[in-house]
Amino acid sequence: MGVEIAALMGFFGLTGAFAVVGTVLAAWMAWRIVEKAGLPGWTGLGAILLTLTGVGTIVPLILLWVFAFMRWPRDEPAAAGFAAPTGGGPAPSSPPRALAAPPMKLADRRGWQLAGGAISLTLDGSLPAYVVTGAPAAQAGDLSVPDPSVGQPHARFLIAGGRLGLEDLGSPGGTFIDGARLLPEHGPRDISAARAIRFGSVELVLSRT
Amino acid sequence: MTWILGLGTLFLFAILIGHLLLALVLIIPTWRICTRAGFSGAVSLFHLVPLIGSFIVMAVLAFSTWPNGEASPGRR
Repeated sequence: MGVEIAALMGFFGLTGAFAVVGTVLAAWMAWRIVEKAGLPGWTGLGAILLTLTGVGTIVPLILLWVFAFMRWPRDEPAAAGFAAPTGGGPAPSSPPRALAAPPMKLADRRGWQLAGGAISLTLDGSLPAYVVTGAPAAQAGDLSVPDPSVGQPHARFLIAGGRLGLEDLGSPGGTFIDGARLLPEHGPRDISAARAIRFGSVELVLSRT
Repeated sequence: MTWILGLGTLFLFAILIGHLLLALVLIIPTWRICTRAGFSGAVSLFHLVPLIGSFIVMAVLAFSTWPNGEASPGRR
């Protein structure tokens, strides 16, 4: 009898241990997932830990549906000082939009430089917008990045109040700010404090001139 | 004897249907999360794998770089 009880206790102890490890693992992963969406990590952790309470799995299931269909902070335009996109999709051939006055102008009015490999682009601030394109520069404000992964046009730089903004124009090669992808629906993003910008497979380092 | 086999089959069938329904309730929102993150929605079909399927989907979302971009640390 004692052996059976011991075996039963061991079985429940093992399953209990698996349950604890699984819950901790799920809570950790949920923390990371909601953080990537721009929400505080504790919301994901809390949703998983709710399974340990009396409300069971129903509330976490509802929260999963809410998370899937809610608006993520990641997708909200964080364009401090730059006009929000007006159209639904990218408009590569449209003229540069007017920029709203930034909330706080920077005193530093030096230009910007993007360098990487044999490519060196200078944004001296004399124009309000610069277009990055894989084609040879045809007009003032065109920044040519001759690479097959760079679209024609690919992205647009916006300068206002000493700040530098960047918006993707829908090129399949993609635009990345410090490793995070910038989508056309994100609109212009303030990249004044960014370090690395990638157009397609071309990695450039941003610095002041 | 036959009725026991029939009852067992019915029981297994009920478990299978229940599992599929539960997986569907998880797959629909996870499909949307995966596509918004930039992954194929088919990743959410791992929920059909019993026991560890949900962990696989969560691990993909938690430890991979999202192709559609992640929130910058300053926004978290």
